[in-house]
Amino acid sequence: MRYTAFTSYDIILLAQGLSVSLALFLATTIIGLFIGSLWAVIRFYRIPVLAQVVAVIAEVLKNSPVLVQLFLVFFGLPAFAKINVTPVEAAVITLSGNTAAFVYVIAVSAIESIGRDQIEAARVFGLSRWQVLRRIIAPQAMAFAIGPLTGLLVNQLQVTSLISVIGVVDLTKIGNILNLRTLKPFIVWAVVGGLYYVMAKLVAFGGAKLEKRLRAHTAWKGL
Amino acid sequence: MISVRGVRKAFGSATVLDGIDLDVHSGEVVSILGSSGSGKSTLIRCMNGLEKLDGGRITIDDFDVSRPKELSEARKRSATVFQLFNLYPHMTAVQNIALAPVEVLKIPRKQAEADARTLLDSVGLSARADAFPAQLSGGQRQRVGICRALAMKPRYLLLDEITSALDPEMTSDVLAILAKLAHDGTTMVFVTHEIEFARTISSRIVFLDKGQLVVDLPTAEFFAADGGMAKPRIAQFLSKMRKD
Repeated sequence: MRYTAFTSYDIILLAQGLSVSLALFLATTIIGLFIGSLWAVIRFYRIPVLAQVVAVIAEVLKNSPVLVQLFLVFFGLPAFAKINVTPVEAAVITLSGNTAAFVYVIAVSAIESIGRDQIEAARVFGLSRWQVLRRIIAPQAMAFAIGPLTGLLVNQLQVTSLISVIGVVDLTKIGNILNLRTLKPFIVWAVVGGLYYVMAKLVAFGGAKLEKRLRAHTAWKGL
Repeated sequence: MISVRGVRKAFGSATVLDGIDLDVHSGEVVSILGSSGSGKSTLIRCMNGLEKLDGGRITIDDFDVSRPKELSEARKRSATVFQLFNLYPHMTAVQNIALAPVEVLKIPRKQAEADARTLLDSVGLSARADAFPAQLSGGQRQRVGICRALAMKPRYLLLDEITSALDPEMTSDVLAILAKLAHDGTTMVFVTHEIEFARTISSRIVFLDKGQLVVDLPTAEFFAADGGMAKPRIAQFLSKMRKD
């Protein structure tokens, strides 16, 4: 006879899946933020060749489905480059690259929204390019970007659910396992969906708090 | 000394500066007059290295602003106050003023901020020291801009139409500060439309027209020329400015 009742062990399974999803989200967010910002700086300073290369990479990554990218990394790297990757490695590479592409777009527009007059003023007072980047551009670009970035990260959190298709045992995979065992899809997927929702709200809440702090200097407080 | 020799600058097919020669000696206040589009602001931007020259040479205390290696030394000797303030909006007034002394002159932050507060006090802004630019009026922002320039202890102060975005009351506040600086012997190159003020504080008047330096005269001589011996273009300009 098939055992379809929920057990207390299911909670541990869900917690494990949740921790895998969260860990992957955090890792790929940090890597994606770093790489995307670096690409934006390369573009801002119009570094020859590199600027064009990052623009093409970002263009490809943001205009192709994440699932396709995931398959290309997971199946393509061993087949074409003879590099074997585990499901987790493939997930980290794909999600980091995808996040970086969108961070790049947001960071470029955030940097370009900073008045050139400020950069000129800083240069006239003798600040180096690095000092201008660190003291003038980065703090303001972060304030401009934090809203769109929060939206992006909430979306990327949901995108992590795709990695279950290559065998990563994340929250969605656990949901699938529980669903197949219990045959109670509405309960299982409602719980899984609820957990994603709570995580997304926490990301949005953190983003809003950070935005408020970074934009403390603006007189505009809304209507 | 600021030395400008045969400076040419064009934007596309439009020649903005056409062979400008000018010397500014220590202790002088040189006002640059001319109608809009005559090249006044471009000349200041060439002096502080914001525009690349198409010809000629500008040196500040013998440091050539066109040479990247000498530009930083030239910039340590001069400071610019901008027409639209160009303050950093994410920093308070004190932070705006202390930034370059900390980053460029390597003055300890605490000392730089204490110096900034002293400067703000000298322009009547001690109570607004911790306000962000968006919380300040135009006149207050420009006073912060002047303090930011003075914090670098420059030998030369370059001022680019710094009152043109201010109302008359704010303008008089800012001009009072400049008058004090001039009285204290600060060397200034002053692009302005404030004819009467230029007359009061300048040692020399330079008049630009269509990118060319038309006259470079001691102040008294420049305004005396208005009486009938003036070049027609200057007389026309002065008459129009006074009507405005």
